[in-house]
Amino acid sequence: MNPTIIRLTARALLGRRRVLLLLPMPIVLIGLTLLGVSSEDEYVTPSDWGPLVFSNLGLAVILPLTALIVGSSVLGLEIDDGTITHLITKPLPRSEIILSKLLVAWLVTTGATALPLAVAAVIAGSGTLAVGLVVGTALGALAYSALFLALSVMAKRPVAVGLIYIVLWENLLVSFVDGARVFSIRQHATTIADAIGDTPLISSTLSVPTALIMVSVFVVAGTVGATRRLRSFALTGEAN
Amino acid sequence: MSESGVIHDIGYQRYTGPRLGPGHSARALYVHSVRSAYGLGRSPWAKVLPIGLIGLASLASLIIVIINSQLPEPVLDQVGIASTFTFAAAVFVAVVAPELVSVDLRTNLVQLYLSRPLSRSSYALTKVAALATATFLLFAAPMLIMFIGMAFSTDDGVPGVLEEFGALLLGLLAAAVHAVLLAALGLPIASLSGRRVFATGMIIGVFLLTAPISAVLSELDSGTIGRLAGVLDPASLLNGVDQWLFDADVSLVSIGSFGPVYGLVTVALAVLGTMAAVWRYKGMKS
Repeated sequence: MNPTIIRLTARALLGRRRVLLLLPMPIVLIGLTLLGVSSEDEYVTPSDWGPLVFSNLGLAVILPLTALIVGSSVLGLEIDDGTITHLITKPLPRSEIILSKLLVAWLVTTGATALPLAVAAVIAGSGTLAVGLVVGTALGALAYSALFLALSVMAKRPVAVGLIYIVLWENLLVSFVDGARVFSIRQHATTIADAIGDTPLISSTLSVPTALIMVSVFVVAGTVGATRRLRSFALTGEAN
Repeated sequence: MSESGVIHDIGYQRYTGPRLGPGHSARALYVHSVRSAYGLGRSPWAKVLPIGLIGLASLASLIIVIINSQLPEPVLDQVGIASTFTFAAAVFVAVVAPELVSVDLRTNLVQLYLSRPLSRSSYALTKVAALATATFLLFAAPMLIMFIGMAFSTDDGVPGVLEEFGALLLGLLAAAVHAVLLAALGLPIASLSGRRVFATGMIIGVFLLTAPISAVLSELDSGTIGRLAGVLDPASLLNGVDQWLFDADVSLVSIGSFGPVYGLVTVALAVLGTMAAVWRYKGMKS
């Protein structure tokens, strides 16, 4: 880890107006939770809207989307701007660069997603779910960040590839092919949150050991892959 | 050609031949944009994603044709394809729309366009039209495959083929509605940012974030609000239009008797989105 890289990355990420882009998602999440809690219809139970809010919105949209934008811009913006040359000509181990970037991406993603999810869970009246969601989101954010960080050095258009992973793999393929969920970070996060939370507000299908193992596989593979790729990184100029 | 007031000589090589006028530049920009949406005339890397998406859609349609021909009742018809593939089309728009406008913004190319006879509004309209055409092709390819497959497997001879052709036309009509709305929503959002990362993120954010909102609302209320919740998210909105106009079998939302509302909102959103794109370029410095 390198404090200077961490500081510069955090500033590039948070010091601009575009950080406000992350704001609408938590507002929608908490607003919908309030709507659900205040619903007076006796036919509507928490298990009707809970999975929709926490799983389908929180863990399926807000977490991957935040991680995608943050994870692919921590290093991607430097590649786009060409400032990556300054970074890789410094006498620093590549692993240090990648780990610092990953740390910032992880912290920002976790902060932007775990906090509102925990607040929403507390509003919904389940403290254990809040804890579960924080842990699940934190682990999911780590795996997503590592994946998208690796994509941003490997692919020409990391965001598009990441998007296709989120929408086509995690949302579409998983609903048709059962085995695909083993490689879906969303399912890992849901499983961990469900295991700790243990309420009808969320439901999962994987086993906890599988989820933990797969999360660590994603993190290790992403970090090692990104580091190796950055060792032989070729500057190709504007990626048009 | 009355083109007084247009400075053609901007310091490059002299040209004294005939000038083709703004209509031609708009057409050239349109053709170029549709081509670049699919990465034609670009490096192989630029082709991978759009061509890959259209290939996946075609493959899915081929599988559906095979299933359809084995079962007595088809599982998915042409309009069903339009409804089911909306999310794939949204991904396509999120990937392609930044390619069409954000790159121009980032490389300051848009200033060069706007300083030529092509007017600002026709630049914006051309880009919306190009995006809509590209998205329409994404729907049309799987539909065409389904038509060919179903026409070959029909048992009724020529009337059967004609029936399939009618279904194809209906499907293409639904596809056009989908394509226009998706393009009119995606392009103005993409034109806000010169960075593809954020343009893509914002577009897909709109599609992914609104879906759970309408899902929760329709879950909480089974009356008027629940029936109308679908208009809040583009995929349900378009499915509502499909159900209302084309009797789609696939139903993501229950629209009740509010079909016309869905139609009206679709038209309003398409017009508003196009106007937003025009307005975005109106005030731009060049």
